[in-house]
Amino acid sequence: MAPSRVIFVPKTDPGAYNPNRPAGTLLRSQTMHLHHALSKHVDELAAQLKAARELLAVDAGSIKTEGEVSKYTEKVTAILHPQGAKRSGK
Amino acid sequence: MPAGLDNLKHIVVLMMENRSFDHMLGGLSLVMENGRKKYPKINGLTGNESNPDTNGAIVKVQPNAQFQSQLDPDPDHHFPGVDLQIFGGAPQGLGRVANMQGFVKDYFSQTKDVNRSHNIMSYFTPDKLPVLANLATEFALFNGWFSSIPGPTICNRAFAHYGTSFGQVGMDIFYVLDPILSVYERMVQAGHTAKLYYYDQPSSTMEIVNLLKNQPQIFATYDQFIGDCKAGTLPEYSFIEPSYNDHPGPDGGQILASDQHPDHNVREGEQFIANTFNAIRTNPDLWMSTALLIVYDEHGGIYDHVVPPACNPNFPDGKTASADATGTGATFAFDRLGIRVPAILVSPWIPRGTVIPGTEDPANARIFEHASIPATVTNFFLKTYDNRTAREKNAQTFLDLLTDQMRPDDDCIVFDNLS
Repeated sequence: MAPSRVIFVPKTDPGAYNPNRPAGTLLRSQTMHLHHALSKHVDELAAQLKAARELLAVDAGSIKTEGEVSKYTEKVTAILHPQGAKRSGK
Repeated sequence: MPAGLDNLKHIVVLMMENRSFDHMLGGLSLVMENGRKKYPKINGLTGNESNPDTNGAIVKVQPNAQFQSQLDPDPDHHFPGVDLQIFGGAPQGLGRVANMQGFVKDYFSQTKDVNRSHNIMSYFTPDKLPVLANLATEFALFNGWFSSIPGPTICNRAFAHYGTSFGQVGMDIFYVLDPILSVYERMVQAGHTAKLYYYDQPSSTMEIVNLLKNQPQIFATYDQFIGDCKAGTLPEYSFIEPSYNDHPGPDGGQILASDQHPDHNVREGEQFIANTFNAIRTNPDLWMSTALLIVYDEHGGIYDHVVPPACNPNFPDGKTASADATGTGATFAFDRLGIRVPAILVSPWIPRGTVIPGTEDPANARIFEHASIPATVTNFFLKTYDNRTAREKNAQTFLDLLTDQMRPDDDCIVFDNLS
């Protein structure tokens, strides 16, 4: 690279670091937003966990037909890979 | 099509926090050279701008801005406070005139100290901000980039992501109910690439709640941005968030907040902006094919002399905030922009000293706001796209600033002494 005009950037005073600084309204709002998002996430996880336990209670060896396999497979895959829910039409 | 636009492959937006145009760059207008203003086109300060304090004393702008501890407590930047700042305390109603005379009074309501309230009129001399001041004078500076709403961070940032805040003027939790997609979702659904790079997990993102959870593939960290720049794998559109808090680093070190939100150290933000610039600048392929926009989300309650203009009534946002939501006793029809913020467009295809006129030049004024960001990205990459507000569809876009001439490498700055 050809020489460029170089601008010197002063470093920050090391005394500036203060994780004990009281959080302002922006950071407190961010925390509330994240808490809210997590509570929705947990609700969904709880619903998934309930569905998962019900599926685990099924004796996999008792599944005999292709129809039964596809139903069980769909339910388990929906938990493991929810992004696959959209079906391609024929 | 100009060569600058022909070569454009990447748009990168870095959005900082809570500093006004005059506070950060207004001092450029006071720089003299050979007895004349060195930067005559910049609509900064004359030194005579003032506000009354609560005793009626006139407080002029002062070149005494400090990197930290001066704007503590955090100046008010919520809707009612900004209303006071703009209208000087005049009651709601027709005939009310915006005069930008309420900043000191508003800051007194927090400091409860007359002398301390004067700090809201402080500004930085350019030598104290070598990164921002050099970028502003080396590339394109917008005299007329305003925050989208006269209010706080989250609703203003929503305009940068969605072209609207869905009627929100505050910091409350809200979900996207309309069919309007974020600019990232639009890009990805159309087969393009986009990422929102937040600093790290302890800092996270200020995106509203649903996107982080429901569109995780859109997000990455700043370390990945640096890696993507080195590897040449930067997406077509990138949005970068600085560190929003002080926290321990992974190796036991210290990570300082770099967003410049008061009372975080402004110098750390300079380092962050410089690092982001250098990451692009030092990859020659990236440098010639990237437009980097450095902008602030809102003014943070700090003085600026320019009255925010009204929005074009022919192209509305389409929402109204209730009197309860605004806290002023009056509704808000998203018909006035927020206060002016620093905004700089960086590219080697931009001539040195480019200044885009704002309200100081009514005949040539170009008014920008955060809806200009999704408008620019969507128009460039997706060409035609309808599912957005009239306000965003008709917002000013900024890629016409890229010309046919690429500045040679030794004509473009680079930053040194970075952490």
